[in-house]
Amino acid sequence: MTWADRTIPDSKRLRYRSGPVPQPIVLELLNHAVWAPNHGLREPWRFIFVDNGKGDALGKAQEPAPAYLVVAMKEEANPYKRHEDFAAVCCLVQNFRLLAWERQLGVRATRPEWTDDPLRRRSFGIRETESIAFVLEMGFVDPPPPESASSAAAPAPAGLAFELF
Amino acid sequence: MDLATIITERRSIRRFNSRSVSQELVTELLAQAVRLYGQGESPRVRFVYAGTPEARERLVDGMTSSMRENKLMRWVPGKMIELFKSRFTAIPGHLIVVAEAGSDRSGGEASVAAACGIMQIFQLLGWEQGLGMLWDTERIIQNEVFFKQIGIRDHEVFVGILHIGYFDKAPRGRSRTPAEKKWTVYEGREAKTV
Ligand SMILES: Cc1cc2nc3c(=O)[nH]c(=O)nc-3n(C[C@H](O)[C@H](O)[C@H](O)COP(=O)(O)O)c2cc1C
Repeated sequence: MTWADRTIPDSKRLRYRSGPVPQPIVLELLNHAVWAPNHGLREPWRFIFVDNGKGDALGKAQEPAPAYLVVAMKEEANPYKRHEDFAAVCCLVQNFRLLAWERQLGVRATRPEWTDDPLRRRSFGIRETESIAFVLEMGFVDPPPPESASSAAAPAPAGLAFELF
Repeated sequence: MDLATIITERRSIRRFNSRSVSQELVTELLAQAVRLYGQGESPRVRFVYAGTPEARERLVDGMTSSMRENKLMRWVPGKMIELFKSRFTAIPGHLIVVAEAGSDRSGGEASVAAACGIMQIFQLLGWEQGLGMLWDTERIIQNEVFFKQIGIRDHEVFVGILHIGYFDKAPRGRSRTPAEKKWTVYEGREAKTV
C-alpha cells in the first residue's frame, strides 16, 4: 500500500500506546519535513521537544500524550510575509504528520490559547519575535485491524467546494 | 515512490511544458488530498479552478490588472506586462484556494491551516504523477479586480494560487537547515534556546 492510499485516522480518536517517543525518530522525520515549500527559504520554524514520560509536563493544558512538539514561528511584521511564513509552517507540519503516520506515530496538531500566555511563552523560551504556531501531541498507536481501517478513518469529506473560474 | 523521497524531491516548478492537464485528475487529487488531511471536521476551504484557455486568459487579466497603476510597477513597460501575461496564460491550470475566516481568536487561522495542509498534500500527490506546481502569493496579483473575479467575500482569506502543469526538468533543490539546529528540549521550567 502506498502512502496515498492510507487512511489517516481522525486525530480526535487517536489512542496512544504508553511508550516514549524517541528524540532521534522525531528529528529524522523533521529532517524530511523541513523540505516543505517556504518562500524566500526563510525556514520560519523552530522546535521545542517535550517528553511527557511522567505525564505532567504540560499539566492540563493539553490532552495527555507521550510527547509534545511545540512548533514556534518567526513573526514577520509584513502581513504578506507573515502569511507566507504561517503557510510554510503548515506545510512542514503536514509533512510531519504524513511521515509520522508511516511509522505508526500518531500526531494531533493543535493551536491552543495558552500559547499566548507570556509566562508560558517564557517557559518555552519563545522570543519576542516569535509565536507558537502549533502544539503537536504525539504517541505511537496500534495499527488499525485491516477490516476496520476505513471505519476508523476520518469521515469522507462532504463534497468538495470546487468551482470553475 | 516512497513518501520521504517525494517530500524531499518535490520542487517548485516555474517552467512548464505545453502538455495539457486533465480537470478530472485535478479534482481527483484534490479529493484525495482532503481525505488524507483528515483532521476531523470538513475544512472550510473553497477551490476555484481555471483550466480552459478562455478562463486562464480572463484570470491572468485580473491578476495583472494592477500592474499598470501600481506604484511599485510604474516603470514596467507594457511589453513586459504582455510577456508576463502570455507566460502565465500558457500554464495549463491554476487552482485558487480561499479559506473561510471563522470567529476563532486568530481570524480563521484554523481554516488557513487546513487549506495549506491540503495544498501541500495536493502538491505531493501531483508530484507523484509528474505534475509540477508553483504556489504563488505575489503581492501584485492580490488586487481588487482579481479578488472580485474569484468572488472573495468579507469573511474569506486568499491563501494562494497553485499554477499547475507538466515539466521537462526540475530545478535543483536548495538545502534546508538540519532540524538539530532548530531544536530545543523543554526542561520543565525554562527551555534553553539554541
Ligand atoms: C506560502 C508560499 C508562498 C509562495 N509564494 C511564492 C511566490 O509568490 N512566488 C514564487 O516564485 N514562489 C513562491 N513560493 C515557492 C517558494 O519560493 C519555494 O517553496 C522555495 O523557494 C523552496 O523551493 P522548493 O519549493 O523547490 O523546495 C511560495 C511557497 C509557499 C509555501
